[in-house]
Order: sequence, then C-alpha cells, then structure tokens
Amino acid sequence: MQLTLEFGGGLELLCDSKKVHHVNVDLSDGEEKLTMKGLLSWAKTNLIKERPEMFMKGDTVRPGVLVLVNDCDWELSGHLDTTLEDKDVVVFISTLHGG
Amino acid sequence: MSCGKASCQSGGCSNYDDEQPLSPTRPPVTITPNGSVNISGDRRQLPSNPNICIKCKLNDAIGGRFGGGDDGRFCKDCFRGSLFGKFRFSVTSTGMISPSEKVLVAFSAGPCSRVALQFVHEMQDKAHKNFEASRDKSLPVFGVGVVFVDESAARCVPSAESDEAIQHIKNVLSDLAAPEKLLHIAPLESIYALNPADGREKLRRLLDAIGDNTGKEDFLMHLRMLCLQKVAVENGYTQLVLGTCTSTIARHVLTATVKGQGYSLPADIQYVDARWPVPVLLPLRDCLAREVSLLCELDGLKTLAMVNGPQSGINALVSSFVSLLQEENPSRECTIVRTAGKLTPFSFNRLPDVDDPKARLASQRRQKRFNIKSDEHTPPESFCSLCNSPLHASDSSSLGSFSDEQQSAESFGAACCSSCRFQILPDDSLSMDQFYGLLPQPIMSRAAICNSFINQRLLREKIQDFLLSDSEDGG
Amino acid sequence: MEAAKPKSGGARLCSFCNLRKPALKRPKTLHQICRECFYDVFEDEIHNCIVENQLFKRGERVAIGASGGKDSTVLAYVLSELNRRHNYGLDLFLLSIDEGITGYRDDSLETVKRNELQYGLPLKVVSYKDLYGWTMDEIVKMIGLKNNCTFCGVFRRQALDRGAAMLKVDKLVTGHNADDIAETVLLNILRGDIARLSRCTSITTGEDGPIPRCKPFKYTYEKEIVMYAYFKRLDYFSTECIYSPNAYRGFAREFIKDLERIRPRAILDIIKSGENFRIATSTKMPEQGTCERCGYISSQKWCKACVLLDGLNRGLPKLGIGRSRGHDNDESIKDVKHMTGSKEVQGKPCGTLDF
Repeated sequence: MQLTLEFGGGLELLCDSKKVHHVNVDLSDGEEKLTMKGLLSWAKTNLIKERPEMFMKGDTVRPGVLVLVNDCDWELSGHLDTTLEDKDVVVFISTLHGG
Repeated sequence: MSCGKASCQSGGCSNYDDEQPLSPTRPPVTITPNGSVNISGDRRQLPSNPNICIKCKLNDAIGGRFGGGDDGRFCKDCFRGSLFGKFRFSVTSTGMISPSEKVLVAFSAGPCSRVALQFVHEMQDKAHKNFEASRDKSLPVFGVGVVFVDESAARCVPSAESDEAIQHIKNVLSDLAAPEKLLHIAPLESIYALNPADGREKLRRLLDAIGDNTGKEDFLMHLRMLCLQKVAVENGYTQLVLGTCTSTIARHVLTATVKGQGYSLPADIQYVDARWPVPVLLPLRDCLAREVSLLCELDGLKTLAMVNGPQSGINALVSSFVSLLQEENPSRECTIVRTAGKLTPFSFNRLPDVDDPKARLASQRRQKRFNIKSDEHTPPESFCSLCNSPLHASDSSSLGSFSDEQQSAESFGAACCSSCRFQILPDDSLSMDQFYGLLPQPIMSRAAICNSFINQRLLREKIQDFLLSDSEDGG
Repeated sequence: MEAAKPKSGGARLCSFCNLRKPALKRPKTLHQICRECFYDVFEDEIHNCIVENQLFKRGERVAIGASGGKDSTVLAYVLSELNRRHNYGLDLFLLSIDEGITGYRDDSLETVKRNELQYGLPLKVVSYKDLYGWTMDEIVKMIGLKNNCTFCGVFRRQALDRGAAMLKVDKLVTGHNADDIAETVLLNILRGDIARLSRCTSITTGEDGPIPRCKPFKYTYEKEIVMYAYFKRLDYFSTECIYSPNAYRGFAREFIKDLERIRPRAILDIIKSGENFRIATSTKMPEQGTCERCGYISSQKWCKACVLLDGLNRGLPKLGIGRSRGHDNDESIKDVKHMTGSKEVQGKPCGTLDF
C-alpha cells in the first residue's frame, strides 16, 4: 500500500531530518486492512532511527504528538483504529519542540 | 530550620528542604538542651559506628533501605518518637482531642489509619494513666470509637472479602489494651434510610449514573464522608479522625488543581476541617506514607491491602506523577504540601469554641491555641451541594436565577461547584433528574440549607448599598 | 469512550457550519470543526481575550517576541490579522534575540526574517554579542553545558526589555499558550514558590517594570496553535536548542500532555485553579530598584545579568549562579527551572524567545 508519511514539529529529526517519506507498507500476515495501530508499529521499526520514545509511548504516539490522516485530526477518525487506504497521507507533528 | 509558616512547624516538613535535597552526607544539626548547636558531621564527634542513630547516638539506625528521609537515620525508638511527635504536635497545637471529647477514628485497616488508631490509642492510654494517678479527677479521659465503612456495595467486592476485613479489624481492636473502643461497621448504603438491599440498589444506580471514572471515585469519597459523619452524629462523637498523611495530601493538592478546585483546596488540607457537623481532624498531615508504612513494619502493626479499589483516570495519573517526582527528589511530597499550606485557609479550618467551661479550662491548660490565618472579614462561604467545598464567586454567580424557587434537579446542579458539574452530574436533564432522585437524604438536606443560605446572601448583596457600615459585622 | 467512527463517508459534519467535513476536534470544547470555522473561532477567541482583558490601547506600539517557533509565529500572524480586521490601531514590531547559537538560532532567525516579509512587520534583532559582548557559543565554551541555561535565561529577559526600549514600544507580547501556563502553575507548586504561583496566571505582568508583557494566548491550547500553523502552512522553525537537548523530557510537560489526553479541559482547569488560589495579597514583593551598573531594574545592587557578566569577564563564570530566591523579578519558568538546576521538572526547551 502506497502511503505518504510526513514528520514535522521536530519529529523529522528522529528520521534522518527527512520530512516527507513515500513508503510502501505491506499488510502483515492475517491482516485484512491497515490501521493506524499497524502503521505506527511499522513506522517505529522502519523509519524512526533514534529516540523512539520521542515518537511513541506504549502502542500509540506520545502525548503531544498530533496525527492527521488526509489533513483530518485522527481524533475524529478513531485514533489507532483509523483504517488507511492506498495513497493516504499521514502527518505527525510534535507540539513539544520549540516555542 | 523551620520556615516559620503555620503549616510547617512540625519540623517534619522543614527537615526536607527543596533546595537542598537530603543526602546522607549532609551533616545533621541538632540543638542540645542548653542551646548550643551540634553538628554531628564534626569529625571530633563522629561516632565510631557510622550507622548510629543521629538523634540519640546510642542505638543502631534503622538503615537507609527505606529511602532518603530521616527515617533511615534514626533508631527505631527515635523514629517512632519523631513520628508520634508530629502527631502530637498537630493535636496539641490545634486544640484537637481535648479531655471532654469523644473521638471517632475512621479505620480502613490500611497503614495510615492503623497508625492513626495506634497514636490515638496511646494518647488515650497515657491520659487514662494520668487520670488514675491524679487526685482531683478534673481531667476526664476522652473517649475513642472506631468506624469502618464497608464499601462492598459500591465496589462490587465479594462479601467474603469484606467479612475478612471486618474480622481483621475486630482482631486489631481486641488486641489493643483497655479502655475498650466501640467498633461501628457502617455499610455505605446506610446513608439511605432504607433497608440494606434497597439501599444497595439505590447506591448502585446512583453511581452508575456517573459517566466519568474520576468523578465516580470522587463522589464515592464524598459519600464515604457522609457515612462517617452519620455514624459520628448518631453516636454522639465530637471529632472525627482521618489517617490522611502528607503523601495523600500532596496528591490531593495536584488533583484538586487539575480539576479546577484551586479555590477550595486549602479547606481540605488543614489539621482541622470544621465545615462538617462533626469536625474532621487530620493529625497525620505531617507524616509521609513511607514513614507510616515503616512504623507498621517495625511495630508489627498488621494492615490490610487497601480495600478501596485501584484508582483510575485523573487520580491515578496524578498519583503516578507524584511517585515519579518523589523518586527524583524524596522531599517533593513535602514541598507540594508546604506550597499548598501557604494558601489561605477558611474560617472553618479551626475548631469552634467549646461551650463547656470545664472543657475549655482543660484545653487552655493543655494547649496553646494555634492561630490559623484566615480572613475573618470576608462574608461566610457558600458550599457545593455535592462535595461541600466552598464555592468561588465565579461558581456561585449562576445561582441567582434559582434563588426563589423550590429545590429541583436544576437548582441543585446550579448550586454545585464547576468541578462536580463536569465530572459527576449527568449532562442531559433526564439523567440529571434520575440522579437527583437517587441522592441520599444528607446531601438533599445540605443542599436545602445551602439554598436558603444563598438566598440570604443574595438578599444581603441586594441590600448591600443600603447597609451603613458593612465592615463592622464582617465576622 | 467514543466509538470509532469511519474515516470517510457517514462522518458527521462540522458542528458549527453543518456544511463541511470537520478537520479537527477542539480540545477546549470537544467540538468537531471544519477548517474554515476553526480559523474563525480561533481568531475570535483571541480577539475576545484581547478586548476583555484590555490588553492594548489604540495607537500603542507593540513588540512581538519572535523566536521563529510555532507560538510566536502564529501570534505574529494572528495579531497582525486582527489588528487589520478589527482596526486596533497598533504599530506592531517583531523583536528577536540572537543568542549566538550556531546551527540553532541562526536558522530560526532566518524564519523570523521571512516572517518580516510575509507579515510586513518591521523586525529588530538584538544580539547577546552586542549587548553583553558574549555569544552563547562563547559562553558555553567557557562554562561548559552545565548552567548555560541560567545565563541564557537571564540575558534573554533583559535583552527583550532592552530591545523593546530600542523600539520604543509600550508593550511586549509573548506566545505563552495555555499549556505553558498550566505547566508553570504545576512547576511553581512543585517547587514551593508561592510568590510566582500567585503571579504566573496573570495575563499581563511587569506593569511596574519598564515594559509590561502580556500573553494573548493564555487560554489557547497548544494543539490548536499547531493545527492552525499547519493548516495555514505558516512558516515556523521547530528544533530544540542544541545546548539543552534533553530539556523537553520534562516530567511536568509530559504530565500535562497525559492529562490532556484523558481530560482536555484539565489544562484550563489548572489555569482556573491558578487564578483562584487564595494567596494573601500581603505576599511580599521584592523591592524594586535599579542596577548600579547598567540601570536595569534590580532589587539588588547589581542586576543578575551584570553579576553573571562580571563573572564571565573576570573568568569566574560560577559567580552569581545558584539560587536567588525572590530577588529577580522574572516569572519566566525557564529561568525558574534552570536556577534550581533540577533538570527533571523542566518543561519546554529554552533558547526560544517565548520563554
């Protein structure tokens, strides 16, 4: 599945200072759809190069990290249960950096 | 060094200085009876045994295994003495527990209430011995009763578990020396004047109506207080002792702040809280949970794991936050309580004057009254109908429109603090009506009193411009 | 808890216009709101806050403390917008401090310079080098990484006042948001600082000092500021200061964010508590004089910056570091925290103008 992931607000520093990542995420065995929960664990393994604790806490993003799926707050689409489709754009912005 | 603040004279807090976290290397300073200062870090006086009690310099210290406080550097006796000293200070300085009182100790069988019971018992024991020895018998010995609130109806614990707790409590009491203490077992549902089964059912439906977990927890605490007050009033007790310790208060300071209850916070954290029919006392206010648990361990005081269920939501989050801070700096809990101690208490945070001249004489003889700062000149407070906390002006402003009407769910809601409105009261008016219908009598009658009180105040405000000298009758 | 809703199709509409698809959930009200309505509500709330608290008078010259970060960038944008729309009649300026931190401030200053053009606001940059003769890079070279935040905090506070004086402004506005203020309330409770606790929720401070400061974002959630900047594609810089790389691991900040997740209104509730705390008005304020050396307000013979500077120039940089309770008149929690040296309760990174 083709997805565009964007890291902002300082989170890009955790993945080689690159803001936009065009990625191809495959469903793991037995899964029928990709949810945000699955994407997060994929991103943690495949994109985050350092200090993963700045990005994740438990199985979700660290409090203070905003998530938008196709420019819509993921609090409106079901947080971790949000289902992703091909060509979706997922944006992560940290509110914790800078002022 | 004492910071000289009213809230901080115990020496318990002042030993913990935020700026200089206690470390084992910091030389403790003691003042000898003739007034000279001893620094025990002084090499000439350095005891040969590095593990010796820093106070009596005779016995071995308990050891540092219990964290950074003083508790590890005292021997068992001195540690015990210092803890009891904090308790006694709070009792004598505030005029709590005078000879004519009948004291009810709220007992959950956890470490704090166990130690509170133990200390009250020891005070009573000593007073009893003095009474026996004295000739004039002018100082009667205060009476002590114990109450356990059985919350099994609210928490859905199997009855075997609460039976076990009750048996444990009976054993604890029978192990204490004379004079005997009366035990009251109060099921939470007894706040309803109904048969137990109906009461339980009503209580369960009341709690089920609350959507927010934190709100449910807090409401349960208010109900527990109602239950304790009911037992105290019905059995003629004059004071109610809770085992609330520094660590609990530190958490309460933060939870109250987070819930927007900054205004009413100082009401809850003083030694004395006389806004209730029977004044509430917190004699363990200056003792840390860690110290209390250590004492239980050293003295073999048996305790039960808290019968109260685990916390969730805001209360749990604050609790783990404070634990984390406490790890980073062992004096953090003390500092939090010290900060909140600087907030201005309310007029009801002192004991009302005693009418009985004999008792007053006795208490004058025994105690120096503790002058607590409170603003005497502001008009008396109005209180939240639900949690009984003093209302801030911004909370009670919405009351005006209901003042002349009969009590209703709507006017009841308007007479609650914004925190209760948010986390306890149901949102929609239908559920609110149901919730209102399930409230126990003590809350309803308090709300009625609040209502009439508010009417008076509103009237007073309306005619304020016509009053000639308002400042004269401010008290 | 709310049940999961489908991402698309059947989703509810904006609770304001009832026309468009909502783009975010407001932490303050839990409303689902579309982008356009969000802009309106966000800007209106700040406008109301400015009007209700009478933050400005017509004709005033106002400096916006601009770090290039999200808060000050959004503040500059919104304030110039509101000034135009509601005809405040204010002369707005951007005021930036160049601490002299290579790879951090030089980059963020580039952002501010772009903002100068984008918003048409005149920019004034004052540098530590010009004011004090030292850059932070030079200071760190001399004193190492420990305590450098003390220097930076003290110098920045004074630099802002001096820059504001050079611009001859009547007021200085900073981008402190509701999350920041809630955090400050907690930190002051944790450290037992009742004097600062009583002051830290004031929307305007320093009215007795040279230049009053105010915080138009006092009730604005950080989440909304970031969302606004994102949706409007505002150009801001977001990297923490290279000299305090761990500062944002603050317990207090983390706690606030955890709280917000469980109960978003807790942030405003903390501010409400802070405003309503019963603190005796007699809490003594330090007496205000002027520094014998530089003329800046100071309760001591020399102001804190001069003491630190003297230490630096004499090669004794430890001079003046340490606790100074109650006699520096700043309520910047940055300074507070760095003074105590207790790293664990730190919040936002320093090195930003907002603090």
